[in-house]
Amino acid sequence: MILKAKDIVKYFMDPEKHQVLNQISLAVSDGELISIYGESGSGKSTLLYILATLDMDFEGDLMIKGQNVKEMSSTALSDFRNEQIGFVYQFHHLLPEFSVLQNVLLPAMKRNIKSMEQLREEALILLDEMGMKAFAERPSYKLSGGQQQRVAIARALINDPALILADEPTGNLDSKNSEMVFELLQEITNNRNKAVVVATHNSKIYANSDRSLEMIDGIIRLS
Amino acid sequence: MSKHVFNKTNLFIALQYLTARKKQSLLAVIGVLLGVTTFIVLINFMTGVNDFLDDAVFNGSPDITINAQSSPEQKSRQFQATNISNEKRVAIDELLKKHSNVAAFANQVISPAILTSDTKQFPGSLNGIFPKQEKKMVNLERRLIKGKGFQSLSQKNNILIGISLAKRLAIDVGDSLKIILPNGKQETLKVSGIFSFGITTIDNVRTYMSANTLQTLLNKETITDIHIKLKEREDITVKTFLANTVSGISIGDWKENNKTIVIGNKVRDILTWSISFALLLVAGFGIYNILNNTVIQKRKDIAVLKTIGYSSRDVIFIFLVQAIIIGLLGAILGAFFGYGISYLISITSLDTSDFIIVDTYPINFKPSYYLLGVAFGILTTILSGYFPSKKASIVDPVTIIRGL
Ligand SMILES: Nc1ncnc2c1ncn2[C@@H]1O[C@H](COP(=O)(O)OP(=O)(O)OP(=O)(O)O)[C@@H](O)[C@H]1O
Ligand SMILES: [Mg+2]
Repeated sequence: MILKAKDIVKYFMDPEKHQVLNQISLAVSDGELISIYGESGSGKSTLLYILATLDMDFEGDLMIKGQNVKEMSSTALSDFRNEQIGFVYQFHHLLPEFSVLQNVLLPAMKRNIKSMEQLREEALILLDEMGMKAFAERPSYKLSGGQQQRVAIARALINDPALILADEPTGNLDSKNSEMVFELLQEITNNRNKAVVVATHNSKIYANSDRSLEMIDGIIRLS
Repeated sequence: MSKHVFNKTNLFIALQYLTARKKQSLLAVIGVLLGVTTFIVLINFMTGVNDFLDDAVFNGSPDITINAQSSPEQKSRQFQATNISNEKRVAIDELLKKHSNVAAFANQVISPAILTSDTKQFPGSLNGIFPKQEKKMVNLERRLIKGKGFQSLSQKNNILIGISLAKRLAIDVGDSLKIILPNGKQETLKVSGIFSFGITTIDNVRTYMSANTLQTLLNKETITDIHIKLKEREDITVKTFLANTVSGISIGDWKENNKTIVIGNKVRDILTWSISFALLLVAGFGIYNILNNTVIQKRKDIAVLKTIGYSSRDVIFIFLVQAIIIGLLGAILGAFFGYGISYLISITSLDTSDFIIVDTYPINFKPSYYLLGVAFGILTTILSGYFPSKKASIVDPVTIIRGL
């Protein structure tokens, strides 16, 4: 079991106190692709940010890789995110000052446990699998949306994390690119044995996941 | 996992940001450079002038002077200096020998006189000195332009004169000079040396001759002045001590005797520091502005960095190190520029003014000013870089990503 969330409750205080997540419990294991769908505003992103340890202002328990994230200091959480969690946004969010290869290397350089040569080699292999090796030296902003998203996935994988979280990774892509991204996510789950949680409006994705959960007004319903 | 924020990766990211905005970074460097350069040039020049004046005036004149208080009847005969009686002189000598802040003291017989060369005639002042004592007071060897110093005054009829006075009288070493004293006595002396303190007010009037000769000419055995050199010039408590212990004397100190110079030095100090600080402030504000804008523009990137595992401390470092690099570059370049400009000023020839006699501008190249300038430059940048960096570090990734 990679991830275990129990009774997660989230309030927002703006414009007044209102509940967005209502006692969400969720367990995810290795090699499992879970999709969360549901109406806009139902709380999918909110949940993913909590699972990614980016939003620590919630009630309930969250265990990732057997560790209670609530007990970690903020620096320890940063390190934990760096090692164990890969996050993919709807908008690819590459850093424009850096080349494609450098973008992929950023999490690994932060982790700093392997030599630069080795990291480059691994990053190039990943980019190759994403069909992006030819663009390695390009500035990242000189890529199409679909290409950038594939680089963002490579970046999420470089530290070999246990958990991959993706918030509408195809939300900004055409159907061909969406398909490619979904195939990549499936490949990551099956061949790399990672736990993947995707929030999506894409019916193809939630129809073909190992498990699909519908979110209605902050409550998860198994479909 | 790198435990310290100062690591290759963070440095690499910072450099990447700096080089991605070459123009802005360069402008920031130039800002610091200008601040530090101006600071160094100003301080080199101003302290150079201050030191020059200090050296010329305060080394050429005593820190404390003691005269006899003139009685009303003596005052009416303006040209006659009043005398310190021998008993009083001995008493004061004893007091001065015991005082811990007195470096040296010397007795003088000072008298006004008319100085006459073959062609010209000017009023001047005769300083009758005892060479052995005076040597400890004034380092005349360093000021000597021609001829010999105090030791030549062991010859009874020798006289040393200031350069401006020599020029006005059109006389040179070896020439003779006639003096006419207030009591009508005349004597012909031989110029044995010409000196220059670099200040017209001294070089125009001052002469040195043997005190014994002058006493004989004036027909008296007393002295008129006692000059004191202090160990710590700022500490003039000896003045109050003497005033309280000995009656019938008037005591002056260097501060009140050289009020304009002391005030001038102060004004120059204040100017130097305030202008330098203003400039560094402007440079600092420039850096603050540039970094602040970067942080605002780069909030999304900061959010991404945090998502992929960079901590708040990493983010602070990444931005702060940009400020530090700008500061270091600007400050070190500024020190070199400052040196270059100061050097150019120091070799610029100067028309001798009415007040100062120098060939080139006096410049003080003290290394500690360079260190100070560089330290100030770097400190300003770090201070002005800190707040934007802090701002960057508290960027909340969720808020930023949601806001897009
Ligand atoms: N910072 C915030 N302050 C107050 N309310 C918020 C804030 N962020 C989100 N919400 C509210 O929380 C609810 C859930 O938002 P969330 O972004 O999780 O929905 P979502 O399911 O991801 O929707 P979408 O499919 O449009 O992405 C919404 O009603 C939203 O208005
Ligand atoms: Mg959402």
